[in-house]
Amino acid sequence: MKLLDALEILREPPPPSALPFRIGLACGFNPLHFETLVRAEMRLSMPDRRIEIDIGPYGDFWGNLARLEDLEKQGLDSAVVLIEWPDVDLRLGMRHVGTWTLAALAEIVEHGNTFATKLKSAVERLSVPVIIVAPTLPMPPIWFTPGWQASTFELEIRTTLAGAIAQLAQRPNIRILNADRLDRLSPPSNRFDAEWELLAGFPYKQSHAAVLAEMLTLLIQRPLPKKGLITDLDGTLWRGILGDDGIDNISWDLDHRSHIHALYQQMLHALSEQGVLIGVASKNDPALVEEIFQRRDLILPRTAIFPVEAHWQAKSDSVARILKTWHIAAEAVVFVDDSRLELAEVSSAHPGIHCIQFPSKADSVVQVLHEIRDLFAKGFTSEEDRLRLESIRRSPAALDSLNRGEGDIDHFLELAEAELLITFNKESVDARAFELINKTNQFNLNGARHTESSWHSYLRRSDTVFLLAAYKDKYGPLGKIAVVAGRHADKKLVIDIWVMSCRAFARRIEHKCLEELFARYAAEEIEFNYAPTDRNGPLTEFLAFLLGAAPRPGCCLSRDQFEARSPRTFHRVLEAVNG
Amino acid sequence: MDETKELLIKCFSAVFPQLRTEDIPQATPESVKGWDSVATVTLLAMLEQEFSIEVDFTAVEEFGSFPSILAYIQRQKGASAVSREFAKPLRVPGNSE
Repeated sequence: MKLLDALEILREPPPPSALPFRIGLACGFNPLHFETLVRAEMRLSMPDRRIEIDIGPYGDFWGNLARLEDLEKQGLDSAVVLIEWPDVDLRLGMRHVGTWTLAALAEIVEHGNTFATKLKSAVERLSVPVIIVAPTLPMPPIWFTPGWQASTFELEIRTTLAGAIAQLAQRPNIRILNADRLDRLSPPSNRFDAEWELLAGFPYKQSHAAVLAEMLTLLIQRPLPKKGLITDLDGTLWRGILGDDGIDNISWDLDHRSHIHALYQQMLHALSEQGVLIGVASKNDPALVEEIFQRRDLILPRTAIFPVEAHWQAKSDSVARILKTWHIAAEAVVFVDDSRLELAEVSSAHPGIHCIQFPSKADSVVQVLHEIRDLFAKGFTSEEDRLRLESIRRSPAALDSLNRGEGDIDHFLELAEAELLITFNKESVDARAFELINKTNQFNLNGARHTESSWHSYLRRSDTVFLLAAYKDKYGPLGKIAVVAGRHADKKLVIDIWVMSCRAFARRIEHKCLEELFARYAAEEIEFNYAPTDRNGPLTEFLAFLLGAAPRPGCCLSRDQFEARSPRTFHRVLEAVNG
Repeated sequence: MDETKELLIKCFSAVFPQLRTEDIPQATPESVKGWDSVATVTLLAMLEQEFSIEVDFTAVEEFGSFPSILAYIQRQKGASAVSREFAKPLRVPGNSE
């Protein structure tokens, strides 16, 4: 992004109702238009928020870092700690002149040790999401070794700092800017601007400032990862046309110059291990496809793929069936095919789907692998990720038809041996609960999303009530699948947040959650902070059934109404003691 | 209006959003509210990027008004056009490219 573009983006005021999103920036240099670029990137990323960036005085890295603690008390959404070498020791910068003697070098290394210790203890005191950027600029020619040889002093100071940052990265609220990606997007030799550093204390070339601003925004407002990948087979998962070339002439190895397909398989296997759903949409002979999946040298095992749509019908039809099986929307899915025609056909039938053409050249495949990794990247993986594929595969086929009234659903559910493990403990902040709130669309009370800090503030309120439910039955566990949060006063509950994974539909878990809430809080009435969204049809239908009318914002359900309309539930409920 | 002037007006408009377009060609630090050192630095950064020039920071005092900035850019662009001309490879008779 260019500065002119950034200022034009910021000319447009945020909506009057926009809530602030506060970022505290701790650095030792003068951030000047870097701050403008970050604000503009953040505005694009969060158009409904008013972006506020708090910056401390020039040259006071430690003071600015300490200020983050005060800002956190006043309500901070994210903190950014941007380190450059002069923050470690002024002699590692250009605006200060001191001694570069041999004795000074040892002293600088010692300052590096102190810096790392102090940094660690200051950042550990913060509980908001913290982004740390290790020095991005080159050191001056301070060491006595030639430029092409690494100095032991330099190596030592870099190792010390990297060690401290690696330890900080273990904490769940801390994210570190990836230096490798930064190197790819902003070549190290084109980052430092000596003119600007001397004129205004701003050390970055504009292109470097723009890349940093973009990466910081991605770290602050992490994009939601995609949930599923649908892949073509011939020319994509392997080289060759299965029907024409035969099983033995299909390849994915170095000898046949088809190793790029092995790399792709390796990536899909890794994704499936982290809980990404992998499906196949291929125009192919289904018997041949099943046969080739018996080959032992496949890197992506057959068990990692579900479902396989192999036939001669349109790929858009295959994709539609896979989405239905997975219970997810096209927007959460990536489709990979080597044919532009097939990509266009699928894209036109499923406009939200992210299409990627599988390239034929190795360099381009590497790019595609990076792109795929980014699309599915997560800050952490959970038990639910591991369970996802199994729960979809094991989902009783009868459940959907039973819920359409075709059979005895009560009898089916009674024999399902369902168990609901519920926790009301809001003290132990659960990463999966936060993930569910921000990614669930269909069973979602109002579509409201939370930042980590707004979610933590909400939970900290004394009147906040919280319910997290995990489910299992004789078909297998689903893991943590529902979150309810609201406020309690006297005999009334106000529900602000209610989300449930689509994998848990049709098991009357939503009815059981309400039953538990009525009972635990001795509530006579529950008010729903409901809002219709483009996607929350399932929740709307559920409320409409209980209320006997279309739900409206602030609609209320009395205990009598609930008891009269709610169908029987058969879950055994267990309450988690410590969350 | 020439392209340079048009783009410079766009830059001014981005840095001083409250300034009416018709007032920009006469703008000076005295006539524009908010034209302080930070605004000058922002303008400098933007000019380097938009006009692909390197501003000589010792000439910052020339940045006292819209017309003087416009003249500076035109001089810089003229100079870089001349240096580009000199940088072209010489054509040697008999050598085909």
